[in-house]
Amino acid sequence: MFGQYTIPVEIAAEGVSLAIERDDKGFRYRSTCNGVTVEKEILTRTGTVLINPVEPLHLPKELAKALLIELDKTLVVEPATTKTVFLTFPIEIGVFITANETVEVLDIFSLRPQKFTLYGDPRTGVICKYWRSTVSATVPAVNPRREGVVQLRINNSTSDWVTVTRAVFNAYTMKIYYNERLVSMRATMKILLRNLAETTFTDEPLERGMTKSLELYTVRKLQVPLTKFIMEAGL
Amino acid sequence: MSEVIDGDMIPDIAIYGEFGVLDLLRVLLILVVAIIIAKGISVNLRRVLKDRMSKDHVEIINKVIYWGILTIAFLLVLPVFGVNPSGLLVAGGVAGIVLGIASQSVVSNLMAGLFLVIERPMKIGQTVNIAGTAGVVEDIRILSTTIRTFEGLYVRIPNEKVFTTDITNYVEHVARRLEYRVGIRYSDDADKAIAIIHRLCEEHPLTLKNPTPDIFVDNLGDNAVEIMVRIWSPSKEWYGVKKELLWKIKTALEGQGIEIAFPQRTVWFANELQKREMRDGADDPGMH
Repeated sequence: MFGQYTIPVEIAAEGVSLAIERDDKGFRYRSTCNGVTVEKEILTRTGTVLINPVEPLHLPKELAKALLIELDKTLVVEPATTKTVFLTFPIEIGVFITANETVEVLDIFSLRPQKFTLYGDPRTGVICKYWRSTVSATVPAVNPRREGVVQLRINNSTSDWVTVTRAVFNAYTMKIYYNERLVSMRATMKILLRNLAETTFTDEPLERGMTKSLELYTVRKLQVPLTKFIMEAGL
Repeated sequence: MSEVIDGDMIPDIAIYGEFGVLDLLRVLLILVVAIIIAKGISVNLRRVLKDRMSKDHVEIINKVIYWGILTIAFLLVLPVFGVNPSGLLVAGGVAGIVLGIASQSVVSNLMAGLFLVIERPMKIGQTVNIAGTAGVVEDIRILSTTIRTFEGLYVRIPNEKVFTTDITNYVEHVARRLEYRVGIRYSDDADKAIAIIHRLCEEHPLTLKNPTPDIFVDNLGDNAVEIMVRIWSPSKEWYGVKKELLWKIKTALEGQGIEIAFPQRTVWFANELQKREMRDGADDPGMH
């Protein structure tokens, strides 16, 4: 499903149907996912469509700027060590139209149910997109249309044992790479204190030959003030 | 008419009457210092208030402060010209009293507006309730705050009232709790009802995973077992979730055979009731 297509195009896979058909005004876009149908009229003579995974922030509403991944198993990290684990994260699929070197978002949909959570307290906390993930030592087998894999490098820079139950990321700075088999990211959690850590993304694919996703905040020309997320409400 | 000041060789040459070069220098020095101070305050004030007030209001405050400082400087240099400011002060005092009485409310509103800018209990675009008026903050001006009520009305509230009254800001915190009390029949399984409501909350994307929903039997009422449902949602979505979820709870419970209880009373008679059957109104005394 992921990739670049010249319009008109018709795709159907895993409960998603997507078509751009020529009509008298230009092209007609129509997609159906989870019983929700989106229709748009595209006033262009030609163009290409790009379908790729995007930051899981937009559905059902753009409320969160961060992604909280709750781990199914608590990690107890040895002092002054660096360990790597693999987590999963939810996928949203973005459909972009490109013409004359400009890009516009046509549609975003997801095959996974959505959930939000609060990190911190209601006064100073952050609304986050919620995801519960398994913790694996190797790349887990996941459906790339539904979930991605994030390689998380946990660096405990303290002199104490630290317990990690969740990871929170600034979702606007995600660096997503994909191929037909895998959607992936690389991230680092640097533990600064027993209850304080910072998370960042690394702009590198997990495997060779992966394509970098078009980031939505780039398309929308959003300014991202911070590239890291400071987890100050506990790990 | 020439003097030597502090050993410096600057002759005080008279320019007009007793007004000399040194007087001119003193006047210029005071005015230049006043302009520098006024400019400094103006630049800093503009920087501080940039994100807190609209540009127009910042400019007005800036101008008032700028010209206020220059007026004070002007009053300070008046004695150099032989003008006694005490006469002005007397006249100004009388005028001040008159103006003060006339503009008492204006000044108090102005001061309240400045304090509101500093304290920032609300921002433009937030949903608030000020002295019983609920709506979206449209503007926070120097003298007044304007609200667009949910009915679409424009309400102007003087800043003095805003500052001295209770303000409820519905969206200042990122998450807000909503609460339902669901009454089910005594014959229904309350544990099952709680499980159904938990599942609904879990499935709804805008009810927060954390803080976890708190659902429990709160009261054994006269007519119903009352289940308390406490759910957190993002503040901006609170009203939508509140509207949507209650009906979903009702239909989900009824779908599982659990009914919402209504007020009822069982009446016991001391004597056994006598039953009389009526045939087609034949025994009805009104049917003739």
